[in-house]
Amino acid sequence: MPMLTRRHAIGLMAAAPAPLILPRFAIAQGDDRPSITVAVQKIANSNTLETLREQSNVGTRTFYSYAETLIDMDWAGDLSLRPGLATAWRRIDERTVELTLREGVRFHNGDLMTAEDVAFSFGPERMWGGATEAGAKGLFGSVTGGAAGREAPAEVVAVAKRGFPALDRVEVVDPRTVRFVNRTPDVTLEGRISRNIGVVVSRRAFAEASSWLEWARRPVGTGPYRVGEFRPDQVLVLEAFDEYWGGRPPLKQIRFVEVPEVASRINGLRSGEYDFACDIPPDQIAEIERDPRHEVVGGLITNHRMTVFDKNHPQLANPLVRRAMTHAIDRQAIVDALWGGRTQVPRGLQFEFYGDLFQADWAVPAYDPAEARRLVKQSGYAGDPIPYRLLSNYYTNQVATAQVLVESWREIGLNVEIQMKENFPQVLEKGATRAVRDWSNSAPFNDPVSSLVAQHGPTGQQWQIGEWRNDEMGTLSAEMETSTDRDRRRKAFRRMLEICEREDPAYTVLHQTANFTAKRRDIQWRAAQSFVMDFRGRNWGGMRS
Amino acid sequence: MLRFLLLRSGRALLTVALVVTFAFVVLRLSGDPALLIMSVDAPPEAIAAFRRAWGLDDPIWQQYLRYFGAIAQGELGQSMRDGRPAIELVAERIPATLALTLPALLIKLGLGIPAGIYAALHRDSAVDRLVMVAAVAGFTVPSFVLGLVLVLVFSVQLGWLPSGGQDGWLHAVLPTMTLGIGGAAVLARFTRSAMLEVLGQPYMRTASAKGLPWRRAVLSHALPNAAIPTVTIVGFMVGSLIAGAVVVESVFSWPGVGRLLVVAVSNRDLAVVQCILLLVAVTMVTANFVVDLMYGLLDPRLRSGAKGGH
Repeated sequence: MPMLTRRHAIGLMAAAPAPLILPRFAIAQGDDRPSITVAVQKIANSNTLETLREQSNVGTRTFYSYAETLIDMDWAGDLSLRPGLATAWRRIDERTVELTLREGVRFHNGDLMTAEDVAFSFGPERMWGGATEAGAKGLFGSVTGGAAGREAPAEVVAVAKRGFPALDRVEVVDPRTVRFVNRTPDVTLEGRISRNIGVVVSRRAFAEASSWLEWARRPVGTGPYRVGEFRPDQVLVLEAFDEYWGGRPPLKQIRFVEVPEVASRINGLRSGEYDFACDIPPDQIAEIERDPRHEVVGGLITNHRMTVFDKNHPQLANPLVRRAMTHAIDRQAIVDALWGGRTQVPRGLQFEFYGDLFQADWAVPAYDPAEARRLVKQSGYAGDPIPYRLLSNYYTNQVATAQVLVESWREIGLNVEIQMKENFPQVLEKGATRAVRDWSNSAPFNDPVSSLVAQHGPTGQQWQIGEWRNDEMGTLSAEMETSTDRDRRRKAFRRMLEICEREDPAYTVLHQTANFTAKRRDIQWRAAQSFVMDFRGRNWGGMRS
Repeated sequence: MLRFLLLRSGRALLTVALVVTFAFVVLRLSGDPALLIMSVDAPPEAIAAFRRAWGLDDPIWQQYLRYFGAIAQGELGQSMRDGRPAIELVAERIPATLALTLPALLIKLGLGIPAGIYAALHRDSAVDRLVMVAAVAGFTVPSFVLGLVLVLVFSVQLGWLPSGGQDGWLHAVLPTMTLGIGGAAVLARFTRSAMLEVLGQPYMRTASAKGLPWRRAVLSHALPNAAIPTVTIVGFMVGSLIAGAVVVESVFSWPGVGRLLVVAVSNRDLAVVQCILLLVAVTMVTANFVVDLMYGLLDPRLRSGAKGGH
């Protein structure tokens, strides 16, 4: 038996603190992971990182790094649903989905994710409580619920209600199993769970936050990166979360910096200050790629650009005029001339990731000026002006596209007049000059309910602001939302496309939206079919030397 | 003097009240903050809830009275975007803006005034022409163009300076230069023309005729008289220290008051916009007040309240 001598004892005592120091030292020395800087036009519209509040494209770009949903989407692939914080899910009945939770998932505060955290994330405190409007007296002398206490602002509750219109409860079955129970049958429940409002957050961290605003600026999720610093309108620093269940993140730090001017983003990329520059207009792509060090990636996303009609305007009340307008547009020419062929004309307001609901044989109205002229003549249109409320390039190429449209409509005998507006409220304002405007529609999950029904059905914006309604569309929307019969839903969707795009046009799709990101060519990284940016190990191939 | 001060203070208060009213009318009638802050694609229920919470449903005149009454009591309100006090948001940004505008003011004064004086004293010389070409160029080139050119040269081509952001003093160099060069050009032109006007005055000929050295004639007679229009311009420059860098801050992604103003206006975040406007109005009014006092110091004829030609 070895004897413990005084020399040994002293040696051991001296070595005792070593594990406390050395591993840290070793990590510091060994952490040779790169850090990157991503220049974005905007970090967050709402100055928060809470997905229930930040419902924007720009927020979509960042959330995927710090928070995760139970059901994930294959953003870089075919957009199919795939395991996220839940490893599996199954239907119990037409109202209930049961999910098996992933084991060993940790929040950024070190806590293990539990079924209670999941129930909390979809529970009243985070989603349904809402601000009591008592005390909210308007612009002055009051504080929003979000700033004063942990109670979420009223708009957060409204967003949650829209995302989960009939969710009754989330039941904890056992520590690894939860059930989502709807009040009504809903075949889209899995898709809804995959939306970014369904990220799972730490119950304890929420309780410890001093206010909802503080929470919303530093949410504690399970993503591969945690929020290090967030200075609204300036910078969001995400740091590697090494206890991430999916393995050690490949980047030490990601800095999203707000650079509103596109020229400044491109210059920063060229000077080497930024590794990525987002929201690049198509006409800049060739110029950026002239430098062999840089390339532009990205492309089609699940969003379509469209022209929208107000059927109550006297000149548009006759659907023949609207139908004529849809046939007058050479969409492919717009794609080729303004987008350099980097986008496409889709098959109406639908996306392939709808699966068997996707109507592969559907198409937007054909470019047929002769037919358009015939329809104009048949309508009895007398040449009165049709106002077109236009924003200055809120959408990429918006003004140039509008000029093409106006000329196309002039060719078939319609007198469409552009009226420049400063912002969306001015565009949407009800009045005698509301007739034609621009819009874009996204599909947040894999079902027409997320786009056609949500945007043009009875709860959609067009219907709500009194721009367009159609009783049959109303009935079909209800059927799409509650029916579980796949064939009936497919037929209903087909009929809805016929109504909205052909018979009684509510809109006409122009082209699919494309989103471009400039980056260092030596960085091996794939863009998603969304604004989402994935910096997990699976999507980071490192930097070529 | 007391009457003068009271009159000026009354006019200043009226100016501020008009600015506040103008801001309210223009911003409130040109866009719904709920739709702008919540985004056009937000659910209609969310937009309605936001509108109710912030009192945007009330008649516009009620909103105005509440708005004006609150300001009169010193209550500047909360940002609708994130619920924080507007004054806090604005105060956070002031140091960043001053970090650009104060050094830029020094460049304007240090470069513009000597260049203008030198050009006037050497009228029609090569240096005069060079100064005027540079001044006209600096005066006419918009600041965002000048800023981008400086970035292309010093950041992209030479790699000496960062192109934007606020991560240290090096980041302030290009935006400060952009602001400073443009302002110096303005000052050089004004100083030169003021000096030329004064140099042609009979009292300058008299001073020379009675044997006063040219250098002393310029220092004692020309400079003080030529200073009045220059002081007026400098007053404007001092008045715009707070919000005079809107474009430059956007080009260089500099998180100052100017950027905040752009974001707040585009979101119709009324409390923040009016807080900035109030600050600008107060700064401008104060600067003008000081300029008025300086007129009296520079020109004894104005001290008695006699109207000059300025």
